[in-house]
Parts: sequence; C-alpha cells; structure tokens
Amino acid sequence: MTTVNDNTSEYITNSSSSSAGLKSLITVIILICVCISGFISRLFSIIRFESVIHEFDPWFNYRSTVYMTDNGFYNFLNWFDDLAWYPLGRIVGGTVFPGLMVTSGTIHWFFHMINIPIHIREICVFLAPVFSGLTALATYLLTKELWSKRAGLFAAAFIAIAPGYSSRSVAGSYDNEAIAIFALIFTYYLWIRSIKTGSIFWSSCTALSYFYMVSAWGGYVFIINLIPVHVGFLLLLGRYSLRLYVSYSIFYILGLILSMQIPFVGFQPVRTSEHMIAAGIFILLQAYTFFDYLYNKLRYVRNIETIFFNLSIIISIIVFAIVVLLTYTGYIAPWSGRFYSLWDTSYAAKHIPIIISVSEHQPTTWTSFFFDLHLLICLYPVGAWFCVKDLNDERVFILLYAVFASYFAGVMIRLMLTLTPCVCILAAIALSKTLDYYADAESSEMVSNYDDSVSICDEVENDENNQYLDNNAQNIDETDDNDDDQNFLTSNIKIIVVTCIAMMLLLFIVHCTWITATAYSSPSIVLVSYNSDGTRAIVDDYREAYYWLRQNTPEKARIMSWWDYGYQIAGMSNRTVLVDNNTWNNSHIALVGKAMASNETEAYKIMTMLDVDYILVIFGGVIGFSGDDINKFLWMVRIAEGEHPKDIKENNYFNDNKEYRVDKSGSPILFNCLMYKLCYYRFGELYTDSAQPSGFDRTRSVEIGHKNFDLEHVEEAYTSANWIVRIYRVKKLSNRFQAKDALEKLTSSLSEESFEKNDGKGVILNKPHVKKGTKKSMRRT
Amino acid sequence: MGQEQEHLVNTKVERTLDLVSHLPKEIISVTFENRGTKSARYYDYCVEPQHVNDVGYVGAIVRGKNSGDQTNLPIKQETTDKTKGTIYRIELPNDLRSSQTITLEIEVVHINALRLLPTEIVQHERQLVLYKTNAYYYSKYSTQTQKTIVTLPTDRAESYTQAPKPVAKNEQTITYGPYENVAALTRNEISLHYENNNPFLTVNNMKRWIEVSHWGNIAVEETIEMYHSGAKLKGPFSRLDFQRQQNSYSAVKTFKTSLPAAAKDIYYRDEIGNVSTSSVREMHDQVEIEIRPRFPLYGGWNTYYVLGYNVPSYQYLFNKGNQYVLKMRLIDHVYDDQLLEQVTIKIVLPEYVHNIEFYPSMHDTDIKRLRNEKHYTYLDTIGRSVIVITKRNALFQHIQDFEIHYTFDKIMLLHEPMLIIFSLFGLFCFVIILNRLNFSINHEENNEIRIRIKGIWNQLMEHNIKRTSFYQKLDELLNTFKTNKDLKIYNEQRKKFENELKRIEQNFNNLQTKIKADSVETAEKIAEFQQLDAEQRKITQLLCGNTEKLVNGKIKKQAHGDEEQNLRLKIRDINTRISTILNQY
Repeated sequence: MTTVNDNTSEYITNSSSSSAGLKSLITVIILICVCISGFISRLFSIIRFESVIHEFDPWFNYRSTVYMTDNGFYNFLNWFDDLAWYPLGRIVGGTVFPGLMVTSGTIHWFFHMINIPIHIREICVFLAPVFSGLTALATYLLTKELWSKRAGLFAAAFIAIAPGYSSRSVAGSYDNEAIAIFALIFTYYLWIRSIKTGSIFWSSCTALSYFYMVSAWGGYVFIINLIPVHVGFLLLLGRYSLRLYVSYSIFYILGLILSMQIPFVGFQPVRTSEHMIAAGIFILLQAYTFFDYLYNKLRYVRNIETIFFNLSIIISIIVFAIVVLLTYTGYIAPWSGRFYSLWDTSYAAKHIPIIISVSEHQPTTWTSFFFDLHLLICLYPVGAWFCVKDLNDERVFILLYAVFASYFAGVMIRLMLTLTPCVCILAAIALSKTLDYYADAESSEMVSNYDDSVSICDEVENDENNQYLDNNAQNIDETDDNDDDQNFLTSNIKIIVVTCIAMMLLLFIVHCTWITATAYSSPSIVLVSYNSDGTRAIVDDYREAYYWLRQNTPEKARIMSWWDYGYQIAGMSNRTVLVDNNTWNNSHIALVGKAMASNETEAYKIMTMLDVDYILVIFGGVIGFSGDDINKFLWMVRIAEGEHPKDIKENNYFNDNKEYRVDKSGSPILFNCLMYKLCYYRFGELYTDSAQPSGFDRTRSVEIGHKNFDLEHVEEAYTSANWIVRIYRVKKLSNRFQAKDALEKLTSSLSEESFEKNDGKGVILNKPHVKKGTKKSMRRT
Repeated sequence: MGQEQEHLVNTKVERTLDLVSHLPKEIISVTFENRGTKSARYYDYCVEPQHVNDVGYVGAIVRGKNSGDQTNLPIKQETTDKTKGTIYRIELPNDLRSSQTITLEIEVVHINALRLLPTEIVQHERQLVLYKTNAYYYSKYSTQTQKTIVTLPTDRAESYTQAPKPVAKNEQTITYGPYENVAALTRNEISLHYENNNPFLTVNNMKRWIEVSHWGNIAVEETIEMYHSGAKLKGPFSRLDFQRQQNSYSAVKTFKTSLPAAAKDIYYRDEIGNVSTSSVREMHDQVEIEIRPRFPLYGGWNTYYVLGYNVPSYQYLFNKGNQYVLKMRLIDHVYDDQLLEQVTIKIVLPEYVHNIEFYPSMHDTDIKRLRNEKHYTYLDTIGRSVIVITKRNALFQHIQDFEIHYTFDKIMLLHEPMLIIFSLFGLFCFVIILNRLNFSINHEENNEIRIRIKGIWNQLMEHNIKRTSFYQKLDELLNTFKTNKDLKIYNEQRKKFENELKRIEQNFNNLQTKIKADSVETAEKIAEFQQLDAEQRKITQLLCGNTEKLVNGKIKKQAHGDEEQNLRLKIRDINTRISTILNQY
C-alpha cells in the first residue's frame, strides 16, 4: 500500500516524496517503540516472580497446549480428558476454542523446526505480551482508516499500555482474550477496509480474520452482531452502497461457513438466537439490493419509493417473524443464560448463581472505569463527538462499537476488555484533532502555508477520495473557526495547551505503569507478603500442596475441591478432579457444594458415591488471605440449594441475626458442615496472633466458635506451610464385621435406605448375583 | 595364582562400622603378612554370600607409609560363589615378598542393607532400623587378632547381639572383640536394632546433562527424582505438630548440594515452576546450595526437581590445536551420603566434532556406555553428538572425573555466525526481489494509467479544496466589507483571491491537458468541472458587484438580500454538481 502511495505522490509533486519517506520511517519507528513498550510493560510479573502460568483458566489452556504439542492436533481434537469431571470426563476438542492452543502450538512447531528448543511454557507465557504488540498495530491500522495516521499512532500507543487491556494480557495470563483482542481489532480493521473499497479481497480477509477470532474466543459473537448492526444502521441512514452489499454478503457467507468448522461452535451460527441478527440483516440486504435494482429499472413508475419503503418494512417484519417462529418451534435455540444476564443484570443472580459467583461477571463500578482507562475515559466522548460531527460509513461503525461496548462494560466487569480498544481509538481521535489544532506552530505564523497544513491535518489515506469529499464541507467550517481564532490563538497559548496535554499524557503513562505493576501482575498462584522490615516473602503454598499431590498420591486419585481450583489441580497436580472451571455441569458442582455444606456423615455418603480419595480446601485464616473457601462458602451453599433445596438451605448457615459468622455466634449447622471442619481442623490449637486467644482467624478477625473437634471419616493428609491449602484423605470403610455378616448387613441396609443404593460399594456387592443369573439364562436359551 | 594367596595371614584387623547414615560404611584396616615362599600380587577381600548384593563400593588404599600418596588401588571383582560370597581382588602396589607385612585400608559401603523395623511409623515416631552383619572380619585368610567397632547415630539401641563376648557398649559405640585366631571364612551373624533419624534419601533416577559450547560455557543440568527410603509415614500429617513440636524426627526438610566454585546462573525448579525455598552460599572452593523441597519429605514421599548451572569452560576444556580434551566429573555431589540408584549422563559435544573417545575414570568399572545420540539446538544443522552413559548405584565415592578426547576444526566456529549472516542476507534479497516483482493480475499498462489518473484526481481534489476555501474567504471578505465598508482593503484582498483562483484554474487546465492522453473520459469530466467552476466565478462576481452596490447605496437592502439569496442558491446547486462529479470517481 505504501508503495502505491509513493507512486502517486511521485506523480503529483516530486518534492514531497522524500518527506513522505521520512514520515513513513518515523511512523515505523514509533510503531516499533509502541510494540516494544507494550511488550515490556507486561513483564512485571516475570521480573517480580518468574515465568509461570497465572490464575485458573490459563492452567487449562496450558495443559491442553502441552497435550497438543505432545500428541498432535488431531489427537487434541479427539482428546477425552479423564482428569476432569470425574466420573463424566470431558471431550476437550469439542468444548474448547482451539485458537489459542493452535497459535502457540504453531509457534512452538516453527521454533523447533528451525532448531530453537524453546519450551512450550515460555511460548505460552509470552504469547499475550507479543499479541498485545500486534493489537497495537491493528489498532493503528483501524484508527488510520477511521481518522488519520496521527490518531492511529496515538491509539496504538494508548492500547499498548492501557490497563484495561493489560489486565488480561500480562505475561503468563495465557487466556483466550490474549489473542482474541488482536483478532477482534484486526477483523474490524479489515471490515472497515472492505466497506471502504467494496473489494472481494478485503471482505474475504475479514472473514478469515473472523474465523481466527471464532477459533479463539467466545466473544466472536460481538463481531457477528456488531457488523450486522453496522450494516443495518447504514441502511437506515440511507448510506447503502454496492460496496456495502459486496463486503457484507461475502463476509457473512464465508464467515458463516468458516465459523462452523470450529467443533465447539458447530451449528450454533444457524441455530442460536445470538447469530440471528446477522442472518436477518443478510436477508434484508439481499432484499434491499433487489429492490434497489428494480427501483433503478422502474424509475418511471409513480410512487415507487413508497411502495419499496413499505415492501422493505414488510420484508423485515417477515424475517423477524420467521426467526421468532423458528425459535418457538425449537429450530433455533433461544438466548443462553449468559446472554440474558447481559440484558438483565439481576437475571443471573436469580437463576444461575454459578455465573454471578464469579467476580469478573459482576457489574462494573464507576471507579474501575477510571482505574482501567484513566485519562482516556474523559477523552472518549470527545472523540465520539468528533466522529458524530463528521460522520461517514466507517465512523458509524466506531460509534456503534462505542455504544455497545460501553453498555456491556457497564454490565460485566470482564467486558471492560472489549471497551478498551474503542476508548483508545476515540480518545486518540479526540487528542489528535486537538493537537492538530494546537500543536501546529507554522499555521499561525504564515497564512499562506495554511492550506497545506489543513491538508496534512486531514491526512486521510489519499486514495479514499469520497471520504475526502465528505470532509470538504467540514474543512471549510474549520477554516472559518480558525480564521476567527487566529487573532487570539497566539503561539503562547498553543504552547500552554500542548504542555498541558503532554503532562496529562505523562500522568496517564505513570498511572498505567503503576496499575499494571501493582494490580494486574500477580500470578495469583504465588502470593507475596511483606515482612515488618519491608522485605518480600513469597508465599508459595498453592504450588507446595499441588506438587505434594502430584508426587505423593496414587496416580488415579480423585480430588474433590471447589470448582475454582479444578484447572490448577489438573494442571499442576496431574490428578483427577470432580469439577473444574469449565462450569458446564451445574448439578455436578451442586453435588460437590452439597458435600461441602453437609455434615460429615452425609458428606461421606456423597464422597464414597463419587469415589473421592482426597479433599482439598483453601483456607486463609492463618495468614489473612481473603480469597479462601470459607468466604466463598455461601456460594457453594447457594449453588447446592439450587439443585437440592430439600437438603441444603442457605438460611441455616446464618446465625440468628441473619449473619454469616464463624465465631461463637455462628450457626451450629455451619459448625458441623464439612467445609468448616476441614478448614478449622486443629486450628483451635494454633496461636496466630500473640494478642489473641488461640484459634483466631486473621481473615475474618474473629476467634472461631467451634474448636477441638475430631474428624471421623477423613484424616489430614497434608497442610501447606501457611495452612492455605489443606488436603484430607478420605478414609476407606473400616473392617467392622466379618465378611459373611458384612454382605448381609449391607444388603439389608441397602433395602432400608434408598440413598445407599447409589453407594459404590453396595452396587459392586450386588453385581455378582445379577451376572450369574443372566449367564445361566442365556445358556439355557 | 590362587594357590599362592593361601599363604597370606591377617595379623591384625581393625574394623570400624559406621552406621550413622543410611549407608553402613565399613573401614577395615588389615595388616597381613606373606607367610608363603612366593611373593604375592593380590589381596582378596571377601563378602559374605548374604551381603553380596549390598555392596555399593569397595576401595582400598595402602596405609601408613608415605601417607601423601593415597591413590586407590585397582580392584577387580571376581566371580561370585554361592557359599563363599564375592571376592574382590585388590592389586597390591608392589609384590609382597615372603614374610613381609603391609597394611591396607579397605573401605566398603553397603547399600540397602538396613531393614526398617517397623516399616511404617506415625509422624512423631522415631525411625528404627535393623542391621545384620558378621561379628568377625570375613576373610579367606585366617585372622590373628581382630576388633569391630560399631558407631551408632545415637546412643539408643533397641537391642544388639551380645555374643560373641566380649561386647562393650559405650554411648554411641559398641565394640565387638578383640577376638583371637579366627579361622578363614568364619561367620557369626550379629544384629543391631537401633534408632536412625538421619535422612534416608535415595535418588531413584537422575539425569545429568552436560552441554559443551566452544564459546566458553558448559551448561550442566541435573534432573533428579528422589524419595525418602525410610520408614513410611502412617496416618495423617499434621502441619500443626510439624510446626509446633519439632518432633518430626525422620522427615527431611532440607539438604545441601555442592556445586563447582565457578557455578553461576543456578536454577532450581520443577515441573510447575521455580522452587522459591532455597539459598545459595558461595564459598571459596565450592558453591553450596541449600535445597529445600517444596514439602518436607516423610518416609515414602517423593519429589522431583531440576537443578542447573553454568560453568566457564576454561576450567574443564583444554585444547592443543584442533585436539580437545574435556575433563569433568561424571557425577557430582547431590547430597552427603548420596545413593543414586540409576544415573544417566548425557554429554553434548559441539557440532562438527569427530574422533570422539571416551575415557572413564580408572576406578569406574561398572559404567555402561550406550549408543551415541543426536541433539539439535540453536543454529544446528547436522546435530550434535551426545555421549550417553549409564551407571547404577552411584555413591559419594564414585564422584570421579572422566575424559573425552575429540577433534574439532576451529574454522567451524564461524559456522553459526555465518549461518545467521547468510540467512538474513537471503531474506533481505528475497524481500528486495519480491518488491520488484508485480503480482497484480491487472495489465501493467492499465495499472500505470490508473495510477496516473488517480494522481490527477488527487491533485484535482486538492485544488478543489483550495478553490472552495478561497471562495469561502471571498465570501467572508464580502461580509466584512458589508460591515466596515473599507473599500481599499476589500479591493486589495479581492484582487488577491481572484488571482489565486485564476491560478488554480490554470492548474485545472494543465491537469486536463495532462490527462487527455490517458483518458478522454476523465478529461471530459474535468472540462465539465471547469465549466461549473467558471459559472461559479461568474456568480460570485455578480455577488460581489451586488454587494458593492449595496455598500455604495445604489440598491436597497431588501433587493440585495433577495438577489443574494438567489445567487447563493445557484452556488449551492453548482457545489452539489461538482461533488457529484468528484464522487463519480
């Protein structure tokens, strides 16, 4: 593209070619610097800790990546993971977005092909920072298409360091979002390009990029809804053009076919409501084009406009009605629960506690907008205003993006991530336009040079002429303003304004660095505590306990823990877990929640039913770590209550004042439940604080209410150095009676208690009888 | 040869049995005399049949004279006899002539010789072991006087065999003997049941990776699978008791590894990351690293870790011309009293090395060399030769140097930098050529014309912007003129603007003539555009005249307003037409 530009400029004036070369050199240098700074600012966690995979989900991604590199892509697609969801297992290939694993697997394969024996872990750890550099480039390209190169550079610089994005892309956070934001922005860039040019090439590229996005993240739904909405809006605004028709039709069809190649997505694009906007708009666009064609042929007919207008409305109503009908008849799945929760924030709280129990699914507070975006959140409306004032096809897009992303970011803190690029772009537009006005020292001095400066200011891609023309009227307006202001806009004022802006940007950089360093760079599997003399002490309890499990439990041991730790146990301990962070089976999770919330005897029945060998709980009472299982316990109770309302009642875990407390005023049911006992076993003998009695819980700052109890069916297997992770072994049934009696007793108890039927042991003992019978009968017949 | 040996007699034997660690160690100081006529070449050390498989190491030195020269004597293991046991034939430094005496110090380390009794203990219990040995020095020669001194780790012994007398116990030591005139191959089993809480660490698998670089570095990485081979932990592990009562006697919390003094860039990690609990102490002759596994090791618990470091190669790699010699330790210190059950050593030599010869230490008799492997790493093309060596039951005493001799052409050092230079060069050339090629499916000439037309249009656009801005300015001038009625400035400015407009018009003409050759269509469009422009100019002039008239008071304000409205409508019409022309493109 640049070559073409150079050529054209050659034809125009020979003198400008060298300045254009210089300009592109500077642009390239700035972009490289932006990429590098984006990469470096994400390395805090590596410098402070080590090159390690962070948090929860990345551990699963890492494990599957390792599996893929070891066993190949097709085995990965067919992988049945028996370490998860015991006894159900999980078909990983069909329940995962493989883009992330394939990306790092490809990089790994490439490096090994050229004999660079880099470990897959390093690739996984550094993938997110590398892709954030690419995101900066994609943002530059997108902003360049939307406004100007200058704004593009600003936007690239903003996105490279904005905490809203770096929160999910620091080194080690090996998650889908790490590559998905790049794919998102790049798809948007290609989309803008294709509607500007109307070329098949660009819209096919858009579809390919969309395919990559689909393979990487569930957030692809955002693209497949936003682009049709954009098209729909353009139609409403009367901005229909053949370019639009070509690019959307090609994008939709190719994108649809490609996205259905991902096993996890499958037939969803044609069968779920989330994708119906795209299909509807596609049909509408075809109809519109058809009528437009007829309209051009039948100009002489009277009132043709109203007829067509009415027809279009009828068509859209028909399309809508068909979608509704198909939804009712079950051909199209209705909106999923997660989607509902985006529209009605209280929906999840009422119906799906498991979604709302995740902190990143909570509604966003106002402070976090500032926390994550700082200066940009103030500039963002300004940029949007500039776009509204100077509307064209692609600016409609960024405005729609801004509106939707703002809404979603407000609903769910996690979706702050999709808002950030849009905020960066609009803020960059605002800043660029302001600086065009103030930082142009020459224009105030020499009036004759003025016109050149105008043309540089709006240095939109030269070949986009129609946009240029759209701008014409605007330029002229500006000219008015500028001439009027020229009297008081002395260079001094300009310098002051520019200095102020520069200082704000500096503050922004300081803020971003600080936030990234303090808030977003902790791996969360390694904690840090500061001693009284200020030295750093690393609390490595998680890995200590997980590694203990890996080394010192039987290979097929089954570990029961709350689902948060499922991925980490599978990843670090390589042991079977009952539930994990892929919360697809609510009733299984509720069963684990029920076991945790029941008393020991009841819990033991559930645990033997589920073949549990070890139980793992997280307990922060010794060092004052607040994210432990006692604090999460109410969610377990709620989720269990959702499935077993007869056995578990949330109110039972509150004391008389309707409070959830672990001190003396706590409810006796709480004191007897498995979770309490596992967390506080022998804690009553420990002095955590010299000024406090024994058994003082430092997280909740109370002395626990129930001490000195014994465990009947489980025994302590391991407790980490700071007691954060406690692992218990489920005792096998003790030999109480002679073998002869045992059979009788068990069979009699089976008939008495209906629950015992599910008991693994009972079933096994019964089996021989049944088998004998069938065999004999079969022989006779 | 065997015959002559029969004439040897052990005159004095002092046996020290060190039971402190988990590897019972015997140091036997034997003084013997040649009572035969022929001179003796060898001394045979025998191991009882039931202990044949226990022996991890046998070493012998000459004691007494010139104690500075304490080289190990060569020892050869003879065939095993079911009744007599194994014979280790020690080669004497020089022939022992008739009626001469010599004192040898034989060191024997037994592995897996301790029986745990009980085999399972709870967390706070002490670990008890049972050791069975011979009360007498087992020899194929008769022994005149002998004594066995047993050292226990603590003074607590559950039981020990009290016979044959005399037996004396003094705190940690138990003395058996002295016994006089014991016949050859006499056995008298004694058993000792005592407390031993010293670390029962055993490495069941160790991989040692040595990567030699001619750029001045040798990287060493040891992958260690380790378990606590003591009594198994029974029942729960309580962190509270572990922290508060300090009574976990048998648990291994930490141990020390010595690395070479030049070791740097040390890392200690496992499958899930860096193990943060370790400390390094640099001393003048070694680097001591205190290794603390993630969790304390109780009986039966396993752990696994990787320990790596770099050492500068000048200490280990020597060369003369193209001939290189690598001299390093085959295995290194892992912990005191180490027992490495299975060791695999892989030595990676640089690329393009040939004539590789491997020389193990003289005393390392039981190592096995496997087939060479290939290893590919940074910038490799043909792969590096890897020498693979395995060894079983390596002890502290087996830390010995090996030597590898090989030939390497120094010119090949340039291979890797050249590889980078040429691949980058090739890449740049490729890009240069790629840039020069045209992959467009459009016809070349058309393309050029298209670009040219595009350029013209761009210029047209630019001029158009200028043009409109001048009209705008002119308009404004009129407005100001209307209010301040300054004819002089007005005329001056107007003339200037009109001149500018004329110049732009000229430009349009130029563009039109330029494009005519390429595309008539475009030229026509430009002509149309120009026509419109001329019209606009006319109207603007009318507008100016009108305003002048107003200022001079020649027409009324009302009439002027109407006229202006009319003209402006026309201008707007022209403007839309111009933009439709330009939009067509």
